[in-house]
Amino acid sequence: MVSLVDALTAVLLVSVAVSFAAALLAWRERPEPGASAVILMLGGVVWWAAFLVFELQASTLARKILWSDVQWVGVVVIPVGWLLFALMYTGRDEYVRPRVVAVLSVVPVVTVVLAVTSNSHDLLYRSTTVVTYGDFVLLERAGGPWYWVVAAYTYALGALGFVPLFDLIRSNAVLFRGQSAALLFGSLTPWVTNILSVMGVLPLPEFDPTPIAFAVTGVAFLGAVTQYQLFDASPAPNWRARRLVFERMDDAAIVVDNHGYVVDANESAEPLLGRARRDAIGEPVASMLPTLGPLADDCRPEHVTVDVDGDDTPFDVSVTPVYDVRDRLIGRVVTFHDVSRYLRQKQRLEVLNRAFRHNVRTDTQMILGYAGQLSPDTDEEREAVGIVEQRAARIAALGEKARVIVDLIEREEGPRVPVSLPELLDGRVQRLRQSYPGVTVEVSAFPADCTVPASLGPVVWNVLENAAEHNTNDDPHVRVAVAAGEGRVEIRVTDDGPGVRDGEYAALERGTETPLRHASGLGLWLIQWGTDIAGGRVTFENNDPTGTVVTLDVPRLD
Amino acid sequence: MVRKQDSRALAPGDSARLLALLAPVLAGLKQLWTVLLYSSAYLSVVTVLEVGIAMVVLSLPPSPAPVVVGLLTFAVYANDRIADADDDELDKPDQTAFVRRHENALYVAAAVAYGLAVASAMLGGPAALALSLLPGTFWVLYASDWLPRLGAGLRRLKDVLLVNTAVVALAWAVSLTFLPLAFADRGVTPTVGVVFAYFFLRSFVDAELPNVRDRAGDAEAGVRTLPVVVGLERTRYVLYGVDAATAAVLAYGAAAGFLSVPVAVALGAGLAYSLGVTTLLTRYADRAWLTVAPELEYVVAAAALAVVALG
Repeated sequence: MVSLVDALTAVLLVSVAVSFAAALLAWRERPEPGASAVILMLGGVVWWAAFLVFELQASTLARKILWSDVQWVGVVVIPVGWLLFALMYTGRDEYVRPRVVAVLSVVPVVTVVLAVTSNSHDLLYRSTTVVTYGDFVLLERAGGPWYWVVAAYTYALGALGFVPLFDLIRSNAVLFRGQSAALLFGSLTPWVTNILSVMGVLPLPEFDPTPIAFAVTGVAFLGAVTQYQLFDASPAPNWRARRLVFERMDDAAIVVDNHGYVVDANESAEPLLGRARRDAIGEPVASMLPTLGPLADDCRPEHVTVDVDGDDTPFDVSVTPVYDVRDRLIGRVVTFHDVSRYLRQKQRLEVLNRAFRHNVRTDTQMILGYAGQLSPDTDEEREAVGIVEQRAARIAALGEKARVIVDLIEREEGPRVPVSLPELLDGRVQRLRQSYPGVTVEVSAFPADCTVPASLGPVVWNVLENAAEHNTNDDPHVRVAVAAGEGRVEIRVTDDGPGVRDGEYAALERGTETPLRHASGLGLWLIQWGTDIAGGRVTFENNDPTGTVVTLDVPRLD
Repeated sequence: MVRKQDSRALAPGDSARLLALLAPVLAGLKQLWTVLLYSSAYLSVVTVLEVGIAMVVLSLPPSPAPVVVGLLTFAVYANDRIADADDDELDKPDQTAFVRRHENALYVAAAVAYGLAVASAMLGGPAALALSLLPGTFWVLYASDWLPRLGAGLRRLKDVLLVNTAVVALAWAVSLTFLPLAFADRGVTPTVGVVFAYFFLRSFVDAELPNVRDRAGDAEAGVRTLPVVVGLERTRYVLYGVDAATAAVLAYGAAAGFLSVPVAVALGAGLAYSLGVTTLLTRYADRAWLTVAPELEYVVAAAALAVVALG
């Protein structure tokens, strides 16, 4: 029959083998963040378990006490290694500096010194006696004052190490969740075992089975390395990256506390604040940015003008409240997006638009008027006048489309206005039939209770008009079909005309035009932009055997 | 007709059928030998024999020491294969390809082997535990990039002439001699000194002989071995010198009564075999045989010891 001491020795040897192997795997991963700390921690485990084996196997009391004291080296290394690992692995390596490590090592070093000199004082142990269970001889050592200090210190470091890892458990990345879950499970087991042992609730109260529980840690770390790419895919950059995003973003960002004082700011904020960040921190934000207004106010002007290097610069300001874990407001992040360039472009477009719409419309009307007064005598002259009238009408139509596009763009800034599908379609289909009496327009049944963005009206009209206007079929048809789904509506317009030239689509797909590669007018752009503004998407396909299928997939607003 | 031919091919007693039956077995054995050779596992078997020789010569009781040293050997050499894959590409392309293909599994196996070795060594007490850590420590200093990373112009011991071979020889001589001693809880005697000297000198030769094969790759990688620095002919003379020193140690051991004459003769048989290997060093252009041949010295010595013991 296997004796108790042999059974305990066997499981301790398993713990040593597994922890040592895991440490070697970590060795290979150096200098990945946390690898060195894992080696330190698992080295502590091996040390502790090894000398516990020697203590169990020792035949004299003096040897047992010696090996028991030597175990402290491993015991005190483990929590330090654990905390350093948690900090390095989660990217908080700014705390892992020689000075910090030195401070963390003070209690462990004092403990080892007290262990080595334990015969001459009772700071670590008040008493040492022997307990026997048949042939099994165990030391029973009552902890002195320093024993409880180092116990509390160990648990404190252990708890601190768990904090950043719990953050990763909540991470969106499944891989990091797996890594952290394995690490937490592996690390919690010995801590819980140790607490239960110190509380004296385990069988054999004189024997601390924590080194045995570390076998679970070893297996978990082995699994995390081999299955969850513990050191191959490391979350360490995340912590620094988030700070980097704040520091290096183009937009100015200022963190303001509940009392309106600046507590942090990024580099881009310095020109707005008119001073270096370190000088701005602690100052009221209102004194540096008086035009900002009250931050708690929901009604904020569209743009806030701030004096930047002597220029009044407009900014789009957004205020994001910051809450603590109990949902209490603790501050705000104010970001400033420079919109001066956007406003300048908008202003130029408005001027061009006015000039285009007003002047072109007036001038084309004049051309048409004067052309109508001409009395051509020959066929050649009549043809010339006809071309003038036709071209002037096209210019007028182009101007009209430009006006519609500008209207749509202006609508983008406001809320989406809903309109019922019958209201959107019926009038336009009727208008199409009147304008193009030679074209057969068929509309399939569609749900009457369906509502879509009103901005879609001009888009639908242009799709219908394109389908009819350019349809050169002997018996032209335009078919409108509507399919209403969950939250979306699909309006499909099919014609049997000659179809759209491929080059027209290419410009839409590129999203831009060049002098050589462009669409023939504004119609397709109007359809594309208008659908986009309505929150939908448009697709163009060839119809079989001829013609085009235009599909507008837009959101339902009912 | 075809059926007839088939039935003929399958007729009992036909040698072709026997070959057909044996083919998968032979292929499996070949594959196993490839794994043993390229992963360095065959060296573990040889080291188990070496520890056995030490235990017989020192009259030690049976212990887990051979298993511990076998596991340590596999762990250290598998690691060495991985660490030196780039340097070995020139001289051992097949081995390098195998190591690269199975690098991860090989490293995990090596780590687990070392873990088991350390855990098993603890059964021999603190001294055995410390001794089991020595090969790993030596390997870190010898082959890993740990020393160069420390800076201050430090180099891997593997790159330093003679130190490289001496370190390997020392590491194995210590493990082979003192680990079984630690398990048996015996003290150091003059016989132990003779056995240690024997293993140190033999390990020196065993470490230097494969360097002949690796000469081109070592030269390219900047590893200064005897064949790289002094050439093949002079290397042969140096190794003759080491063999002569071994013979002197065995003769002294036998003369002083630290070794029985039959034991000295048995170990001398292994030495004679090694001398033959050294003599043939420059004879063949293809020196692949130098990977395994030096290690067979212990097989010869163990067989001779077995004859002595049985006789």
